[in-house]
Amino acid sequence: MNQAQNQIKKLIDENGKRNDGRTADELREVKITVGVVKNADGSAFIEFGKNKIVAAVYGPREVHPKHMALPDRCVLRCRYHMSPFSTDTRKNPAPSRREVEISKVMRESLEPALILEDYPRAAIDVFVEILQADGGSRCAGITAASIALADAGINMRDVVSACAAGKIDNTIVLDIDDTEDKEGVADMPVAYMPHLEQVTLLQLDGILTPEQFNECLDKAIVGCNIVYEIQRQALMQKYFGNETELREEQ
Amino acid sequence: MQEVKRRYVVPGDKIVEGNFRPLMNVIKVGNSIIATRIGIAESGREGVKVIPLSGVYIPRVNDIVIGKITDHSSLSWEVDVNSCFSAHLPAQDVFGRDFSPARDDMGRQLATGDLIAARIIAFDRTRDPMLTIQDKDLGKIPRGELLKISPTRVPRLIGKRGSMIQTIEQATQTRILIGQNGIVVVMGRNLDGTKLAIRAIRMVEEEAHTANLTQRVKVLLNVPDTSQIENTSVAQTQNSQKGEDIHSTIEEVEEEIEEGERT
Amino acid sequence: MSSSKRSTIIVEHLRKQQMWDSISKGKRLDGRDLDERRPVEIEFDIIKKANGSAKVKLGNTEVVAGVKVETGEPFEGLENKGALILSAEVLPTASPYSEPGPPDEETVELARVVDRGVRESQMIDLDKLVLIPGKTVYTIFVDCSIINTDGNLFDATSYAVVSALISSKLPIFEIQDGKVVDTGNRRDPPITTIPISITAVRIGDAVILDPTSEEEACMDARITITTNSDGHFTAMQKGSTGAFTIEQLKKAAETARIKGEEVRTKLKELSNSGQ
Repeated sequence: MNQAQNQIKKLIDENGKRNDGRTADELREVKITVGVVKNADGSAFIEFGKNKIVAAVYGPREVHPKHMALPDRCVLRCRYHMSPFSTDTRKNPAPSRREVEISKVMRESLEPALILEDYPRAAIDVFVEILQADGGSRCAGITAASIALADAGINMRDVVSACAAGKIDNTIVLDIDDTEDKEGVADMPVAYMPHLEQVTLLQLDGILTPEQFNECLDKAIVGCNIVYEIQRQALMQKYFGNETELREEQ
Repeated sequence: MQEVKRRYVVPGDKIVEGNFRPLMNVIKVGNSIIATRIGIAESGREGVKVIPLSGVYIPRVNDIVIGKITDHSSLSWEVDVNSCFSAHLPAQDVFGRDFSPARDDMGRQLATGDLIAARIIAFDRTRDPMLTIQDKDLGKIPRGELLKISPTRVPRLIGKRGSMIQTIEQATQTRILIGQNGIVVVMGRNLDGTKLAIRAIRMVEEEAHTANLTQRVKVLLNVPDTSQIENTSVAQTQNSQKGEDIHSTIEEVEEEIEEGERT
Repeated sequence: MSSSKRSTIIVEHLRKQQMWDSISKGKRLDGRDLDERRPVEIEFDIIKKANGSAKVKLGNTEVVAGVKVETGEPFEGLENKGALILSAEVLPTASPYSEPGPPDEETVELARVVDRGVRESQMIDLDKLVLIPGKTVYTIFVDCSIINTDGNLFDATSYAVVSALISSKLPIFEIQDGKVVDTGNRRDPPITTIPISITAVRIGDAVILDPTSEEEACMDARITITTNSDGHFTAMQKGSTGAFTIEQLKKAAETARIKGEEVRTKLKELSNSGQ
C-alpha cells in the first residue's frame, strides 16, 4: 500500500501543503463582479481559482411556447454550458450528458431559494457559461447564478452559496481543484442557503467512510459560508458602493 | 415624523425580530422578518418593507404605463409594456361598443411601433394585463425623446407629490411622461432643455438610493435650492398623470398594510 | 430552408423618427458620425488553458474567442495542409431574443463569414502545420462565445478570432514511435496577414459604420467587407432584405480598406504591448 502511495503523486504533503500551496481548509481566491452582461436583467462574473464563469438571468419574462407556462408559479429554466475552449481538451459545443445533468441539479439547487409563486405564468431563465474550468465549476456557477438572480430583483428566501469539499490522499480538504478532482479520492459539491441553514445541492463522486462524510459535509458548509460573505460583499459593492450605512435624505 | 429605521439589505438579510407586520418584499421566518430583495429596508410602526433597487416591471391595476404596439388581432392590439407579460388594448376601447373589424381599420388608429400612454384596468394571476387609453392625457404619444429607466427608480423620479419631476420639467422647459413600467418620454421645445432633462433623469436613476439627491439634481439644473418644494404653481391638470402615478403607489401600500400581505 | 420572419425587435416609431432626423444631420443617436466606429477594446490571453484567447468589446457587444490546438486527419482534398475549424455560438446570455439550442441561420452565417475572412486571406500558413502528409496534421479550433450583443457581431467576432490567433502559442508536436507527442515547447503561429472586417448598414440613403442593435433593427441592408494587410478584399457578404446601390458598395469597399487599416494598426499595437 505504501509503495502504491509513493508512486502516485502526493496531493497533500507532510507539511499539509496542496499542489497549489493551499492548506486543507483553504479556499481558492474568489472574485465576483455584478452586472456585467448589459442586456440581461441580472448577471455576475465569477473567478473561483482558475474558473471563469459568467451567469446571466432573464426574468421574470414571457414563456415561449405559451403552453409551457404554469398557472400558479414561475417556470425556472437553467442551462449550464461549457465553452469549447474552457477545458484542457477542446470540448464539442453540443450539450454533453454531463452538462444536462449539471443543468438539472443546478436548477434544483436554486429553486428552493426562489419565491416562484410570485410570478405565475412567467419564466425565469438562468444561463451559466463556463469560459474556463478548473474543478468546482458547478459550485462556482451556482454561486454566480444566485447573485445574478438577486441582481435581477427576483424574490428570494435566501442567497444560495456553493462550495465543494473532498478527500485527497487520506485527508478531507476544502474546495477541490481540477488536479485534485482528477487524482483525488472523493469530490462532494454542496450548495447551501446560509440564513435558512439548508442544503440544496449534494453530490458525491468517490468513496467516504461515515466519519469522513460528516467531516466533508461540515467542511463544505464552512466553505459555503465563506463564499456567502464574498457574495454579499459583491452585491453591496455594486448597489451601495462604499456606503455601508444609509444616510437620511432631506 | 414617524420612527422609521432604514438600512441597506440583500436577500436573506434579517431586518427585525418580533411582532412586526410584513408589508412588501419581505417574508416572515419564525420570529424574524427577512428581506427577499436588494434594496432599502424600512421598519416602522405600520410594518416592515423593502424598497427594491432592481427588478423588472410587474403590472399592477391602475398603473399608468407607456407601451409600444407590437401587433394586432382582429379584436385588440398587442402592447409591449416592458414587462414579463404582453398587454392588450381592446379595439372596443378605441372604437366604442359597436366596433366592427370589417368596417373599422385598427391599423389606421394605432400601428405597430406606435407609443401609447395607457392605464392598466385589469390584471390578475390568470390573465395578461388589459389596457385603456380613454382617460385624460392617455393615448398615442406623437413625439418626444424616449428613454428607459429601471422601474424601481420611478417613484424617486416622480418624487414626493411630483416634486422631483416638476423640478426637472420647470428647469428645462419640458413635459415629461413617466410610465410606472420605467418608460419615459421627454417632450421639449428646445434641444438643450431636452438633453439636460435626460441627464437629470439619468442622475436620479443612478443615485436614487443616496442622500442629498435633490440638491445634486438642482445643482445640475442650475436651480436655487429653496427648502420646501410644495409651492408648485403648476396647474393640477398638467400633473394629473403624475398625480395618478403617485396616487396608485400610495394606494397600493395602504392596501398592503390592510391585508398584511407581501407583494 | 430559409423563411421570412417577423422582426424580433420592433423599434418605436418615435425612435426611428429620431434616428432618421439625426442621420440626416450627419449624426447618430449615440452621437457618432456616420462613418465613426466604436472604440475596439481587446484583452488578450484571458483563458489561460487555451492556446490563445481574446475578449473583444465593441461598445456593449462582447465576444470571447479561444484557440485550442490538437492533431488529427487533414480535410479531404487538403492533405498537405493543417486544418482550421471555426465555430461561433451566440450564448443565450447575449440578449432577450437569443435562445439556447443549435445555431440558427444567422449564427451559421456569422461563423461562415468570419471563417471566410480568415481562411481566404490565408492568415495562417497551413502548409507549415503538417506532421505526416496526408495522415496527421495540426488541427486548430477557434471557438467564439458571444456574451452580449449590441450590434455588429460580424466585426466583433472577427476581431476576437484574429486577436486570439495572433497571440496564441502553438504546441510543437512530434512523431515518436508512430505516435503524436507534445514536446512541451511552444511556437508562434505562422501568420501571413491580418484580415480585418468592417461592417456597415444602410438606413434610408445613408450608409453607417459599426451599427448598434437598434440601428440593425432599422436597417435596410448590411454589408461586411474583409481586407488583408495589403488592402485587398478577401471576403464580402451582403445581408438583410434590402438592397445597396452600386455607388454605395464601391464607397463601402473603399471605407473598409481605410477603416480596416486603422483597426489593424490598433490590433497590432495592443497585441505588442500585451506581450
